[in-house]
Amino acid sequence: MPLIETEAIVLRTHRLGEADKIASLLTRQLGRLRAVAKGALSRRGRYGASLEPLSYIKVWIYDRENRDLQRVGSAEILESFFEMQGDYRVQLAAQYLAEVSERFLPDREVNERVFRLLLVVLRALKRSGEINRPLLFFDYWLLRLGGFLPDLSRCMGCQKSFAGQDGFYDPVAVALVCENCRTGASTERVSASALGLVELFRRTRIEQWIEKESSPPCTQELRRLLEQIIEAHLEKKLTTRALLADAI
Amino acid sequence: MSEYAAPLARLIEELKHLPGIGQKSAQRIAFHLERAPREDVQRLAEALLDAKDKIRLCSVCNNLTESDPCEYCSDPRRDPELLCVVETPFNVISVEKAHEFRGRYHVLHGALSPLQGIGPEQLKLKSLIDRLKDGTVREMIVATSPTVEGEATAVYLARLVKPLGVKVSRIAMGIPVGSDLEFADEVTMLRALEGRREM
Ligand SMILES: [Zn+2]
Ligand SMILES: [Zn+2]
Repeated sequence: MPLIETEAIVLRTHRLGEADKIASLLTRQLGRLRAVAKGALSRRGRYGASLEPLSYIKVWIYDRENRDLQRVGSAEILESFFEMQGDYRVQLAAQYLAEVSERFLPDREVNERVFRLLLVVLRALKRSGEINRPLLFFDYWLLRLGGFLPDLSRCMGCQKSFAGQDGFYDPVAVALVCENCRTGASTERVSASALGLVELFRRTRIEQWIEKESSPPCTQELRRLLEQIIEAHLEKKLTTRALLADAI
Repeated sequence: MSEYAAPLARLIEELKHLPGIGQKSAQRIAFHLERAPREDVQRLAEALLDAKDKIRLCSVCNNLTESDPCEYCSDPRRDPELLCVVETPFNVISVEKAHEFRGRYHVLHGALSPLQGIGPEQLKLKSLIDRLKDGTVREMIVATSPTVEGEATAVYLARLVKPLGVKVSRIAMGIPVGSDLEFADEVTMLRALEGRREM
């Protein structure tokens, strides 16, 4: 049973029995996996804050391939996202990132770019305390890297560019159509300015975007559209999304 | 699971719904009950139903209780100006262990945990605010867990309650007694320093 050292981001943990925790981890070297941390809830607390949600850690894992559940040898914090989550809105945003990552990424599939994306977005959340742009950035790139991003610049039906016109979201096709091509299903209007936002950040790093200007008015609109698209691909409702809609 | 006779299979299925009980433990418990004298099993069944029927939430603090209001809320020796807020009824027992706190309690029945679908609406907050509004409580001690969820809950509560003119304090977080500074990580150490006291 090899002991493997890897970086990881803690997506969520839950209690197992009296004193143990099961951690769902997005690891850099082994992809997403679940591992038991023995004694994580015991008095001696040898894992400290390392297994709190969204901690960026270095972790040693006893890798039992072909097994559903691995075992955590030890863990130490590389960067903590504990303090920022004292703000409920930030906690909500951070745990949305965790839930989407957990549901979206296949088991044991190494994905360096998504790992870096999650880390960069967590840092942006921590530094700015802003919700909308970090989440929008995450949703956009997660969909794009996974090949699930529909064309946001032209109509899926007639292929004509939206060019300053509003689009309509078709939840059945999970795509955008123009005024002429819309059917009874595509009732949700997406404003031209929301669609135009993509050009603002497509070639920018998230931290630069946040530093350079304030949040544009349609950020939330586009963010919510991308959340819907993510949910459509998961074919399952996200627990955090309903709370997010109430709070932010 | 069809290898078991139907009543046994049903018992195993029910036991598996209990927290921390998987297939193997459920089988072990079921076989144990099968072999046990009928009276023992009957006592267990009665205890289960008795607890279910007689235990309810205290209408004041939401603690589990047989009498309403609960023993803490109705004890005149307890200071009504001090209120300790905890996540679960077990945590009331934990605080009581110290034999130090002589005020009353409020049980939230959870902590803010978006991943589990728990937001402010899911916690017993309204009854807390109603209690504080009458002006009796002078200090609210937030004794939620030293976790992301407990901390988010504490900060949320503080923001909600401070405008009512109630002093809000948080139990200290830091190095556990009997451990070693060597094993304290950055979060733990920061909290330990913030929570230091003059000697
Ligand atoms: Zn069209
Ligand atoms: Zn009570």
